[in-house]
Amino acid sequence: MGLLDALVGRRAVKGPAARERLFALSTAYVTLETEQQITSSGVAGIVFQPLATSDFAAMVKDMEEVVKATASEMGASAESQDDSYGFRWLIVRDKGAVEDLVVTINGVSTAIEEGGYGERLLCAVFTFKDAKGAAINFIYNYKRGSWYPFVPAGGEQQRSTERELQLKAQIGGELPIEPELERWFPLWGIPF
Amino acid sequence: MLLTMFLLGLLYVALIGALIASGAGGVTIAVVAVVLFSFQLFASDKLALATMGARVVTPQEQPELHAVIERLCIQADLPKPRVAVMDVNMPNAFATGRSQKSATICATTGLLAMLEPAELEGVIGHELTHVINRDVMVMTIASFFAMVSAVIIRFAFFFGMFGGGGFGGGGRGRGGGQNEEEAVLVVILVSVVVYTISFVLLRALSRYREFAADRGSAILTGRPSALASALIKISGTIERIPSNDLRSAEGMSAFFIVPARAKQSLMNIFSDHPPLDKRLAALARLEAQLQGTSK
Repeated sequence: MGLLDALVGRRAVKGPAARERLFALSTAYVTLETEQQITSSGVAGIVFQPLATSDFAAMVKDMEEVVKATASEMGASAESQDDSYGFRWLIVRDKGAVEDLVVTINGVSTAIEEGGYGERLLCAVFTFKDAKGAAINFIYNYKRGSWYPFVPAGGEQQRSTERELQLKAQIGGELPIEPELERWFPLWGIPF
Repeated sequence: MLLTMFLLGLLYVALIGALIASGAGGVTIAVVAVVLFSFQLFASDKLALATMGARVVTPQEQPELHAVIERLCIQADLPKPRVAVMDVNMPNAFATGRSQKSATICATTGLLAMLEPAELEGVIGHELTHVINRDVMVMTIASFFAMVSAVIIRFAFFFGMFGGGGFGGGGRGRGGGQNEEEAVLVVILVSVVVYTISFVLLRALSRYREFAADRGSAILTGRPSALASALIKISGTIERIPSNDLRSAEGMSAFFIVPARAKQSLMNIFSDHPPLDKRLAALARLEAQLQGTSK
């Protein structure tokens, strides 16, 4: 993307960042569990923007079949769902370790990237519970290659910023946390 | 678009040349220019929002609009802009702000009521692309010298009316006075020419940026036809709205998604938005490319 593209207003949509950053969770969750008593609820999802083309639909169909097959081999399950904003979720349930969830989610994003649609990936969401049973989400932004916590509070469209900032301080050493707070986008209506 | 930019630049160089050649009040002109430029850059967006009666809204007030903007911001890798709503039935949207961090996206209540989520996403994608492309900055810089010319013309009228014989008949020598008068006349003439030509070129530039924003929205959302559908819906109602409602919106029309004018433009060259059918044709081409059915 050169100066010329910027001048004439032609910019491509950014593709996903390096993959290792997603895998940071597979070690960071140990710290969450042992030091903060925050445990995985065994569910994760990846959300992407489906294109209404036959090529994209075929790619997604193949990818979903592979993911569902491998998930059931590992004693997990996978399902897909469309939300009200027209985005597609692929939801993975695995009672085992967080590593398996990360591997499965990475499999989905890799398939979408290899199909040539990497720029359609939005983010991945991993859900956790703290000692009191309150829900905590860790969201991985594919464009930025960074993580941020998202803790819904009681009430409509309310989030607990205080808790999120605490989590940043607690896990920031191990998880690459998004430094710009204005990019901690909430995801309301997570379908799991 | 590059040719338009080049011509604008050339025009402005000519203007500066004429100003320097005249030698009249170089410092004054520079100071006035800097003041005007900073005002336009730093205050115009707040002024625009205030005069339009737009109100910044929280996620609790407009959860849908915020959610659409948030998802597109993740997709576009943008910081979240301020979100404002204008309580007007005319369906429209615009973006302001000199940089990505100071941007505001504003939609009217009419727009929110009229469009389906996917269509709204297309319109918001168009406005976000204006933010990504820094179109407010581009248009401010591009229109800057046109504004300087306009100011010079106004000053000229002022002096022409109140200082009539002052140049020639003052305490100065006769010959020197005449030279100065000629120089001032040349500057005024050049300013008029610069203003006229830049007016046409600016409109052309604005139309290019609109096409670019449509294209950007289509790429961002992956749904060119949803934006096309939104444009058809919006333009359909705008033409039916009484004109006195529209007058108040006239000043912002360069950043509206569809210009707020009831009557058909006289000529395409004077229009700051491309005609609807051309925009729809461009979106149809994008949809064909996306579907892999073009050529």
